[in-house]
Amino acid sequence: MFKNILALTFFALFSIIITAQSKKDLEKQEEIKNLVWNDEDPYKNVMDIPENWKNESAVFLVKNIKYIYNRPGNSIEYSKIERDRIILLDQAALTEYSELKYTEGNVFYREMSRVTNTFYLGVKVIKPNGKEIEIDVNQESVSNNDEKKIAIPSLEKGDIIDYYFYTNTIVGENDLYQYKAVENTIGDTYPIVKFEFSLETEDDFFINFNTYNGAPKLQQTVVPTKKDKKRVYSFNAENVERNDFPRWFFPLMELPSYKFQVLYARSGKYEKKAYAFIPEDVNTVKTNVSKEEIFNLYEDKFRPYGDLGDVERFLKKKTFSTNEEKVKEVFYYIRHAYFTNYVEAFVMDESNIMYPFELYGKNPIIFNNEVDFVRFFTAFLKDNKIDYEIIIGTKRYNGAIKDLLMEGNISFILKVNTEKPVYIEYFDPYATPNQISPLLENTDAYTLKVVDRKHIEDIETIKLPSSTYKENSSTEKTELTIAPDFSGISINRSFSYKGQTKIDEQKNILMYYDYVYEDHAKYETEPILDRVRNKKDQEKYKKEYAALLKKLKDKQQQTIKERTAGEYNLKIEDYSFKILKNGRFGKEDSFEYEEEFTIGNDLIKTAGKNYILDIGKILVSQIDLSTKEKGRTNNIYMSYPRSFNYQIIVNIPDGYSVSGLENLTSNVENETGGFTSKASIEGNKLVVDIQKFYKHNYEPNSNWQKMVAFLEAASQFTQSKILLKKE
Amino acid sequence: MNKLFFFLLFVPAFCVAQKNSDPTPEEISEAKILKIQYPNDDLVLLESKDYVTFDLNNDTHQVSVKHQINEELLNISSRTDIQKHIFYDGQSEITNFGLKYRNNKTAYFKVNDEAYTVEEYFFNDARVKYASVDFPVQGYKYYFEATKNIFDIKYFTSLYFTDSYPINKKQITLVVPKWLNLEIKEMNFEGFQISKTSTFDEKQNADIITYSVSGLDAVYKEEQSPGPSYIYPHLLILAKSYTDGGERFTLFNETKDLYNWYKSLVDSMADDPSAIKEKVAELTANAKTDEEKIKNIYYWIQDNIRYIAFEDGLAGFKPDECQNVFKKRYGDCKGMANLTKQMLIEAGFDARLTWLGTKHIAYDYSTPSLSVDNHMICTVFYDGKKIFLDGTEKFNPFGEYAERIQGKQVMIENGESYILETVPVVAPEKNKETHVFNAKINNNALEGNVSLTYSGESRASFLYVFNNLRTEMKNEALEYYLKRADRNMMVDNIETSDLENRDDQLSIDFNLKQDNAVSSFDDEIYINLDYNQEYGKWLFNERNTDYEFAHKEYLSSEINLELPEGYKITELPKGIDVNTKNYKIFVDFELTDNVLHYKKVFVMKDAVVKKSNFKEWNETIKNLQSIYNQQIILVKD
Repeated sequence: MFKNILALTFFALFSIIITAQSKKDLEKQEEIKNLVWNDEDPYKNVMDIPENWKNESAVFLVKNIKYIYNRPGNSIEYSKIERDRIILLDQAALTEYSELKYTEGNVFYREMSRVTNTFYLGVKVIKPNGKEIEIDVNQESVSNNDEKKIAIPSLEKGDIIDYYFYTNTIVGENDLYQYKAVENTIGDTYPIVKFEFSLETEDDFFINFNTYNGAPKLQQTVVPTKKDKKRVYSFNAENVERNDFPRWFFPLMELPSYKFQVLYARSGKYEKKAYAFIPEDVNTVKTNVSKEEIFNLYEDKFRPYGDLGDVERFLKKKTFSTNEEKVKEVFYYIRHAYFTNYVEAFVMDESNIMYPFELYGKNPIIFNNEVDFVRFFTAFLKDNKIDYEIIIGTKRYNGAIKDLLMEGNISFILKVNTEKPVYIEYFDPYATPNQISPLLENTDAYTLKVVDRKHIEDIETIKLPSSTYKENSSTEKTELTIAPDFSGISINRSFSYKGQTKIDEQKNILMYYDYVYEDHAKYETEPILDRVRNKKDQEKYKKEYAALLKKLKDKQQQTIKERTAGEYNLKIEDYSFKILKNGRFGKEDSFEYEEEFTIGNDLIKTAGKNYILDIGKILVSQIDLSTKEKGRTNNIYMSYPRSFNYQIIVNIPDGYSVSGLENLTSNVENETGGFTSKASIEGNKLVVDIQKFYKHNYEPNSNWQKMVAFLEAASQFTQSKILLKKE
Repeated sequence: MNKLFFFLLFVPAFCVAQKNSDPTPEEISEAKILKIQYPNDDLVLLESKDYVTFDLNNDTHQVSVKHQINEELLNISSRTDIQKHIFYDGQSEITNFGLKYRNNKTAYFKVNDEAYTVEEYFFNDARVKYASVDFPVQGYKYYFEATKNIFDIKYFTSLYFTDSYPINKKQITLVVPKWLNLEIKEMNFEGFQISKTSTFDEKQNADIITYSVSGLDAVYKEEQSPGPSYIYPHLLILAKSYTDGGERFTLFNETKDLYNWYKSLVDSMADDPSAIKEKVAELTANAKTDEEKIKNIYYWIQDNIRYIAFEDGLAGFKPDECQNVFKKRYGDCKGMANLTKQMLIEAGFDARLTWLGTKHIAYDYSTPSLSVDNHMICTVFYDGKKIFLDGTEKFNPFGEYAERIQGKQVMIENGESYILETVPVVAPEKNKETHVFNAKINNNALEGNVSLTYSGESRASFLYVFNNLRTEMKNEALEYYLKRADRNMMVDNIETSDLENRDDQLSIDFNLKQDNAVSSFDDEIYINLDYNQEYGKWLFNERNTDYEFAHKEYLSSEINLELPEGYKITELPKGIDVNTKNYKIFVDFELTDNVLHYKKVFVMKDAVVKKSNFKEWNETIKNLQSIYNQQIILVKD
């Protein structure tokens, strides 16, 4: 379960590039070519496109994708052949296909097993009069480092380019091998007249496969016989429109698509060992995974396991009023002990200042995946007699859990049954209990009931908790002071984030040095330089580390400055920022920072002896919907419900009064969200209070116009102006 | 756990610094002082020495060049990570590449050797040797040394004093043997204190020429700058001839020799015009005049031959044969020029290959060197005139020339001799772009009809961008462009001239509604009249080099606002009328018959704003900004 940290540094991949083209290779190339372009090819002479696509950039006359899994000798072989026949209707499409790049095959060893990769490309150009020109790819291509590229000769606007690429991987002796999952939409960047998909396997290859969102179902077209073990499955589609990816969209939830994964298991013994969802027998295609199968798979996989020595030492001196508190504190401890404690070491190593890992003892604990973490944490719970459940969910963009097809699409959450339940997901430096991925919120999930903190006894469907727009909040206060000569504005902005919004902002703003020392102090662990005992070495590393930190901090400041300048789309000067609170301990713990800078007179217009201030432009990052977007037909998939509270304060210059307050009032609210603003004069300050909120993470398309209503109100606010009138 | 590796973005170096490599207090304080002098740089070359020697290869009968580089690099920032690199190609090799610590012990960095790819070439033979080097603290130092051998002196054309880092002390030494006739041209020395010494070394029987200079800035990383040959001090190396065994062999002694070499490459081509016969017949069949024939051929090449360049050894100088370019439907400038020539010859015209250096290069053919040119076009002798055809241009009309070749000297093939000619310079009026908006006030909006026209290079660049858009996006993109991507603008009834025609004036008419342009406070109406505000952000504040426009811009804009009844304008902003050698900026407001005429004219006469004019330019732009910043105020009559 635990991996020696040193092993990470010594992990190596040996690769030998094969350059010479053997006779066998050329024969194989010819064989693949004949497989795609032969006399039986029904698309050989197809050149016409439907009338309604004449104004497209290009059209796929056919897109044929074939996957083949077989087992020559002791090896297992994977091939993918994609053949596209595309008519190029404009200059943009011609440019797109004018040059192709690819990587040639190679051979390497992975975990002692020889892996051979092969790549072939075939290209034909077909002129409008039907004349075919086959391109000699070996002759025409050039190599640049590991990349090959070819400029397609004879290609002009109006031509058809008919090409295939063949990818083949042969893995040496293996008893069990799981191929990477495939998840794709049927549609592409150009419309498709004919889409053909086929999957060919033989004995011992287990298939999970399904199609979604109106895509045709997979059919078995070749059934194995005693003599020939080959099985072929396929589906075809016609007249597939070009993909369009609007804002707030999960393509696999709406567009016709297919997903599959293939697993090879040499015999029954290995099938059991596979630890994966596979069909009962090799002749059935699995189309979804049932609750029971999940139960069976994870019953064993999640047995608590871990060396709790560190945790026990941590707990020794402490008392907690509730188990809830204990669970949270242990989580934070683990987050430090097995994560933030090492961050400096990785930095030191990466920047060649020193070789740091020997300073951390022989076997530091590092988790390699979610399962490792779950097993470790449940070991602690078991040891402390705290009940828990393991929740199995899937992220919203994958679809519903009841349609689950592949293990890779599963996410785990621990639900600890303390006084108030505590939800824990895999951690990063900012993770806190009860904050689960927004992509899991409000989804159906399965819970594995653990009895005696040991055996998983039952499984049931639950709904994961959802955060509210009030919890996921950002508060932004912007104070403007206009220069006496109206030549510029100095701006002070402060931010406070909570909930899911906080996580995104922490990742954008914080660097490791902003929080590791807080953790070292809290848990009384030594920062790396304190671990170096040799005084002379320590002195040297200290200097080099200080230089590195300065560089990183300058870069951080520069990045945040550019981000702010980008928000205003203005040049900013005299920039400084300060982090006030990291917000890493609890959902309610806010992340806060502030920044100060100046801008020129871009937002001030002169109007005689008066001035017009484009105050609306201070409300940055609003969405301007295009006409096309306003007519959206898809449902709306957003990250999470959220609210933004803005306060804009303008210090009114001496000798001036404000006109146009009425321009700053707005009030749109409906079941999807809202935008409200109001302005008042308080002493010599103009104060504008603004709220914008999205109530849900999803809205059906029927609610889109309601969203448009408040998004437009916000966008209109950005245009509002006030008059500073000379008294 | 891999996440951790993303904490640092720079490339790790391969060795851990040595014990005695720490900087001394003197080095640290030197670094600190230099940082004040060069706040935007991370490294300074305390010393940079080029030592160049020449040798004669008896087998190949080529004069080879050995270029040794020695540098002392000092980190003036807190920490610096660089990739120390050196380029070479098929005509050269790197025989030595290494770094040492300040104590002169070897620093073992992994040296990489890769093909070097650049955007403009599909394939080239350029390669780069490099090492990722880290300077852990301020004041840290390395010594760098490298040796590059150039097999044939004709490819060794220049030596620059500047580098990508500032240089404290620069020295270039050339050991020129008596058997070699070498001319060294000192370029852009003005404004730099470059000293030169020359001594004769009897032992080597050679002149030792040394140039020294101190305190050089790093090369400027600025967009739209003139080419380096205009800005930085450098030596042009002209290898004229050499003597071997008492016999004199000419290299590039005069322009004729350069031409002869180019010509020899052209003569070695095996053009087969039969491949293009049919196409030429098709293109000229319905042409009523000779000019139309030339146009048909020239436009066909612009539209159907893709620019794809292979810069591989001699292919960098020798054009690809016409039948190959024709068949492949792609080529570089030379391939396109030659195809143009062959097609025109096939059609019965006198067409010739033509060499030139684009505007990027400061030299002309008075210098016999491979560094003089970088481009090839075709010249057709027609109607007693020489007309230049550049197949790499897109949407370029017959008889119009792109800014990058205007005013440049060209070398036209002419059998055993050559013709020198200059590409005509075009007046900015040719590129005129006009904008007229006849507006009325409608609540908080300005509304009315807009007419745009484009000619010359403003038309060519519009057509190029537009015709490279995906068809299904074109309408949306055009609307987006006319709206200036502004949420306040609504555009409809768009009517355009033929957007594939490169010969006639391009025009676009549409209705525009500009929301939020009019605000009312109390009884007054404030109008933000100008939605384009051309050149409004063009201040040159921290720029070190001239600003070069892509072409000589000529923009004329008119906004005519009809005042609502019962209102009058309190005060009109003051206009601008600045007319200098390089540019004209004119702004005027005039009220006639209740219509406010707001006129602007911008002319970039030579497509450049000189560094020496930045001060006055910035003043004009500030005036312009203050006009753009002013609201037109209407009050009740």
